[in-house]
This record gives sequence, C-alpha cells and structure tokens, in this order.
Amino acid sequence: MTLPKPITTRIDPMRARLSRLFAYTFVASSLSACVSTSLPDSRAKSELENFAPFASTYKAPLSPPTIIRDATVLVGNGERLDNTDLVFDQGKIVALGVNLEVPSGAVELNGKGYWLTPGIIDVHSHMGVYPNPSISSHADGNEIVSPTTAKVWAEHSVWPQDPNFEKALAGGVTTAQILPGSANLFGGRGVVLKNVPSITVMEMKFPDAPHSLKMACGENPKRVYGEKGGPGTRMGNMAGYRAAWISAAEYHKKWTDYEKAVASGDKSAEAPSRDLEMETLRGVLKGEIKIHNHCYRADEMANMIELSKEFGYEITAFHHAVEAYKVAPLLAKHDICAVVWADWWGFKQEAFDMVRENAALVELAKGCAIIHSDDEIQIQRLPQEVGKAMAAANRMGMQLTPAQAITWVTSNAAKSLGLSDRIGALVEGMNADVVLWNGNPLSVYTKAEKVWIDGALMFDRSNPEQNHTSDFNLGIISPEGDRP
Amino acid sequence: MSTLLKATLLMATLSFFSVANAADILIKNARIVDGQLRDANQQSDILIKGSMIVGLGTGLSAPANGRVIDAKGRPVSAGLFNADTQLGVREVGSVVDTVDSSTSNEHITASLQISDAYNPSSVAVAYNRSLGLTHSLIQPSNGAGILAGKASVVRLSETGAILVDTAAMVVSLGEAGSDLAGGSRAAAMALLREALEDARDYSKNRESFARGSRRDYSLSRHDLEALVPVVMRQLPLLVRVERAADIERILDFAEKQKITLILSGVGEGWRVADKIAKAKVPVIFDPINNLPASYETLGMRADNAKILHDAGVKMMFTGMGWQNTHNAYLVRQSAGNAVANGLPYHVAIQAITSNPAQIFGLPGYGEIKVGADASLVLWSGDPLEVMSNPDLVLINGKEYSLESRATRLRDRYYSRLNSN
Repeated sequence: MTLPKPITTRIDPMRARLSRLFAYTFVASSLSACVSTSLPDSRAKSELENFAPFASTYKAPLSPPTIIRDATVLVGNGERLDNTDLVFDQGKIVALGVNLEVPSGAVELNGKGYWLTPGIIDVHSHMGVYPNPSISSHADGNEIVSPTTAKVWAEHSVWPQDPNFEKALAGGVTTAQILPGSANLFGGRGVVLKNVPSITVMEMKFPDAPHSLKMACGENPKRVYGEKGGPGTRMGNMAGYRAAWISAAEYHKKWTDYEKAVASGDKSAEAPSRDLEMETLRGVLKGEIKIHNHCYRADEMANMIELSKEFGYEITAFHHAVEAYKVAPLLAKHDICAVVWADWWGFKQEAFDMVRENAALVELAKGCAIIHSDDEIQIQRLPQEVGKAMAAANRMGMQLTPAQAITWVTSNAAKSLGLSDRIGALVEGMNADVVLWNGNPLSVYTKAEKVWIDGALMFDRSNPEQNHTSDFNLGIISPEGDRP
Repeated sequence: MSTLLKATLLMATLSFFSVANAADILIKNARIVDGQLRDANQQSDILIKGSMIVGLGTGLSAPANGRVIDAKGRPVSAGLFNADTQLGVREVGSVVDTVDSSTSNEHITASLQISDAYNPSSVAVAYNRSLGLTHSLIQPSNGAGILAGKASVVRLSETGAILVDTAAMVVSLGEAGSDLAGGSRAAAMALLREALEDARDYSKNRESFARGSRRDYSLSRHDLEALVPVVMRQLPLLVRVERAADIERILDFAEKQKITLILSGVGEGWRVADKIAKAKVPVIFDPINNLPASYETLGMRADNAKILHDAGVKMMFTGMGWQNTHNAYLVRQSAGNAVANGLPYHVAIQAITSNPAQIFGLPGYGEIKVGADASLVLWSGDPLEVMSNPDLVLINGKEYSLESRATRLRDRYYSRLNSN
C-alpha cells in the first residue's frame, strides 16, 4: 500500500466533531463594563475612565407597535396564559392580557392556534468562534497555547457571517452566550450577543451585559496539557486554578490600593501595570464577571465550590453538568445554575452517568436548571430538547408543564447571564424578544413563524425573501442563488 | 424442604421463565404505524405467539396463559432502525480500549468486519433498546485507508444479535477520502479503482497468486477477498460522499464498474436527486443536518429528505447529529424533523424501519403483518414526537426491560431527593 501513515483522528467527521467538543469547552465572559476598572495610567485618566473598548454599538431598529391576539402564551416565568393578547411597543413588552386595546398604528396579528414564548436564550454556543464551515481557518474558539488564558475574549474571534446565526434565529434564538472552548483551565471571556445580522461583533453585543469567564474542569485540560507541561491530572487542574487565583488576589489588592489612593486625593499614586490575564480574574473577584464553569462530574463541582470559597468569588453556572442531579441540593444552596444537555452522553468517561431527568431533578431540588445546546444543530431546536427532558421527568413521576419547562431556555438562562431584568419573560417592561410558534414549541413538528428582537421583526417564515442571509451564502451554490 | 416441594418450585420457576421469555401477548386497540398509508383512527389488535405476529385485526381472542395489553389507541411501530451507528463497538468515545470502530493497521481495511467486535452487552445497546431502537447498521470508521471495512446489521437482542455479518463494504470519498488518500479526492477515486481492479484480477487468479506468480496488488490478500463480493455484485459498496459532483462521479463509476451502491451522507443529494433515483441507489443520511459544515456540504438543507423522496430516492436515516451511537434511538427525532420540513410521515417511518429491512434483506422485520417478527414498540404517543417514550419493547417476541443504567442512576437520586 502506498497510503500515507494513518492518522485516524483526522478522518471521521464524527471524530472531527468530537475532537472539537473535547478541545473546546465553554468559556463565557462578559462585556465591556468591567474593562474600565483597570486604568492604564493616570495621565489621561478622565478620558480613559470613560472609554470602554469593544463596547456594544447595538441599536434596536425602529419598529411599529405590535399586538398578537388570542395566543397560548408561555410567559417564561413558569406561567401559561391561554387566549391571551400580547402588546409590545418601542422595544418593550407593554401588556399581556385579554381584549387589549390596539395601539394606534399597530401591526395586528391573530395568534389563534399559535403559541408565544420569550426569545430563546442559549447560554452555551460557539457560533462565530467555531462557525460553519468548520474549517481550520475559522476555528477560533480555543486558545490552546497555555492552560491559563483568561486574557482572551471570545468576541474577538466571532465571525458575524457564520451562517449558523440565522438558522438559530429561525429556531427562535434571540440571545446567545458565545463561549471559548474548554481546553484550558481558564478559557477566556465569553460574550452575550443579540442574534441580529451584523458586520461587526460590537453591533451584536448585548448592551451592558456582564462578561463571563469560562473555566473548565476535568478531562479536557488534563488531556490537552498532560504531555505539554501539565496539568496532567485533576489534582493538577485544581493546583492550576489556585495558583492563578493567588496571583489574581495580589493583583486585585494592588489595584484596589491604588484606586483607593487616587480616590483619597493622592496625586503621587502610581498605577500598577496592566495584565490582561489578571484583569479578567480581578473582574471575577469584584463580582463583575460571571463564572461559567464547564464541569461534568459531581465531585468536581463540589471541589470548584470549595475553590470559589477559598478565593471569595461566586460561580454562576456549571455547564455540561452531566452529574448535576447528584449534587442538586448543593447547587441550589449556592444558587449555581446547572446548564445541561437533555441527553448527550457516552462520548467520554465524565459524560457516562447521564440521566435524561437531570434538568428536572435540579428543578426538583429548587435549583436553577438550564438547557444549552453547545451545538450548531441543537441550537436550532432548543425547545425540542426541553420537551425531551420534560417528558422523561414526567415519566419518572414528576408533573412538569411546558410552562415550567420552557424556563430552562428562557428565564433561568437569563438569570445566569445577569439579564433577568431584560430578557427571559414576557412581562411588562421587559425587552420585546418574542417568538410566535405554529404550535406547542416543545413538539418536533413545531416551527417558529415569527421572531422579534427588541420589538423588531427579525425572522418571518412566511416571508423568506425578507429574512437576512449571511454574506457567505450569496452565490455560493450557484451564481444567482443563495444557500438555502 | 421436601424433595417434592423443591421439584415443584423448580418447575414453577422454569415455567415462569419460559412464560417471561416467550409469553404470548395480545396487544389490543393499537394504532399501527409501519410506513403503510393507514387510517390514523383505525385500531387493531396484534396477537403475538412466540417470536411472531400471528394475528392482526379487531376483536382477537386473548391467548391461553398469555398477556393482554390494552394499547388504548397508542401507536405500535416496528422497533426502530438506525442505519449508521457504532453501537456495541464504541462504549465510551474517549476511552480507546472500548472503541473498536477502526484500525490503523494498514493490512486490514476492507477485511475489517465490524461484527467481530460487536458487544451485545454494551450499556449503550441496552439503553437504546429501552428507548425503542431494536436494529442498526454498524458501520466501521476509516482507519488506514479509504476502505473502512464491512458494515454489519445487528438487532439489539441479548442473543442472536448479528443478523447480517457483511451487509455492505464501506468506503469514504470526498474530503475524508481525500485526506486518507494523500490530499486529493481524485486520489481517493484512483485508489478505489485500483482496489476493485485488483480484486477482480485476484478473484480470477487466486491460484497463481498463491504460487507467487501474480503481480503485486494494492491490498492484502484478506482485503482483496473482502472486495470480491463487491466486484461480483453480491455486496453493495457503501460510499460516504456529500458533494453533488462527487455523487455524480461515483454514480458513473459504479455503472461502469458494474457494482451496486448505497450512498451515505449525501448532504447535497437534493441537487442530483433525479440521478440518484434513476440509478436506484438508496441513501443513508441524517435529515436534521442543514448547515454547511464543510465545503462539500455547502448545499446542506433541511428539506433534503423531502426533495430526495419527491424524486423517488429510497432513504434510510441516521442521527441524531453526532450522537448517533449513544443516542441512536434519537433517529426518530431526526425523522420527525424531516416531517416538519415536508417529508410525508409514512415515508419517514419507512426510513427508520422497513426500508433498511428491504435493502439489507431482513425478512420478518420492518412491517407489521402476520408472519412478521414480533420486534415491536408500543409508544406512549406518536413515535416521531420527542415527548413520546416506549411503553413496551419486544424483540422477536421477547420483552425487554425499559430500565437501563441511566434509569437506575436516576431512581437512586430521585428517591434521595424525595426523602429530603
């Protein structure tokens, strides 16, 4: 045979997908709010204080007031309202009720037979950082050069032309947290994006959403770095986190001392030098950056909680928390969300103890359960994933309703992003991120008919010519036609 | 205890087990879902004796000493078939000792027979069976060459699992083939051409080859032997291919080589649907895929299945997504999404039951009729609906548990949470 030396891992598409899954884990971080905390120097202080680099430039498009009549509404806060009208205007929910008045100039839709939910939120996506096509030129989600890369920001890798964004929109996804991968102990900052067509990432950034920091437990870091200087074990992982937090605590103190001195009028105070790695970790210690921690196993989650106590920070969520059900009361006690798949398992040892009732058991313990996709296909049908998890739980003996279960991809997801006051429920004053479904959204047969973001119609299944398509899709199948 | 009593107990135990293993069962008032166009309101009784369906109709009498299950209108389908999994040969994906789906040994390509590695006791087998999957085509992955080896049909039973040892010869073309062949999809085609020509030459000259008086071949003797049924047109060549142009090329190639094809992947199949239909080549794919994951799948779209069906292509499904082994049963979710995107319901059912039965020659499986195997699932609701679950799983009349390692774990923690 004259074949080249076999390299089995590069071949099989499923393996390619898997190797990506193994190599990228989630990292989340957040936005610009925290950036101004570290000033480079005191010379142009007043200007610098007000400059937040990479800030959101998102502007909601102007849109008419809209009323949808007689729909079945899953509010997103656990309630269900039948034959109910929804009114939104100027980007906000105005009213939810019966026989509501039509605002002047309103678009009026008959929602009879249709269901409404808040815009779906995916708190774990790699759209843009591992876009389609998944070629190495595009693979920008994992900074696999060092186990500690809290300094990188996922938003700096996001390719807004990823054709996945529009498909997710067609599945009702209005907000997505884009995370770095899970190869590293500290993968970098994640970013919350509005799922709107854009040329720059700044135009997609959710205004004033906190950044997140992605951390990763378990098999991935030790596998990736086991023969590259470590960590090579789970105990090595823990030592790696602790070493970083020790440095971060010192950095935090230096800067805090400096800021206090400046505040007290000490003009001779000298600013410490900036360190991007430490800036992110300091943001966590100050409570400005939320920890979204890839962590499968129950025992490791408990260790990570101890770690957070040792260094005085809070964990917002454990992602891919396959064993969350084993420590559900512990997670509830610490108000940590369990972000899970409905049913993925078996691709590695730490994903072996999956139960389909995971989200429901977290809910039963009065915890915060979230279903995420981490996947370009499943992000297009997250409510189906909710439906599977709900049905399994009810078979076990629980009595969950679609209204309760939809919180796993709406209000609970919003909570983990620090955006409960703006998205995740169809209540007065919240952002008008709304999905009109042609049936029960949890069904395999149901599709999103219309999707609004901040009151603007962004997707309309009945009007395909009006729907945005990525630059990538133009003329790529044939010169005249777009990619379907 | 008296000897007599012991003997009586032993007999009672034996008879209990014989009943449990092959109880005659009457399922009353079932809605039969088997890919035939049927009246959705029509209900039927299904009488099962031993491993077979012996009666279908209304008002059937319960068998003596048998069980009666009132389906109350719930659907009964054939057990599901996933046409591309690695069940039984991939226990934990990242634990290499438990993965037997490919080899890097370059002397073993076409001759790798995946059924040799199949483990019917796999946790993933029991799990998928408990969720309604009863049959699968197990496909090897590529290791040392474009030829991955022989795919096998299994049923997810504890005994007699291997139904067809050699169901198809698997080869990868397109981007994967290019990678394996040294960087060009044309090189992959050249290797395939060479392999088939060598197999043909070898099949006519075995004796001179044994004497050492035949020219060198591109493959080992065992690999050539494995390819002989392909060139004799006794075994289909299962070609993994995505791009429209690559599909056309392999269709032409197969016609010239006089070999039988099955195509797998076919992301851009819709663009050449008429040609696939005309060649009467069946296809295997996951209809849920709709993204341009690679340059060879730029045309991937959600209604690929509908377009292929409209053109007359016979389909088998896999899925869902890359979890097509550990969650192989979710092929029904992929099928349901195909229906949501325009595929007729009964055609989606055929793609996960009766089509693979016909294509791989599995008499008895796939249709629900008198004389067929009782490999059936009673569902809590529509089998394509994600919120449905199996209420009864039978393989050849034997009832399998709905429990699995996952439900055991679940129950342990559910009861702890409830007692808190």
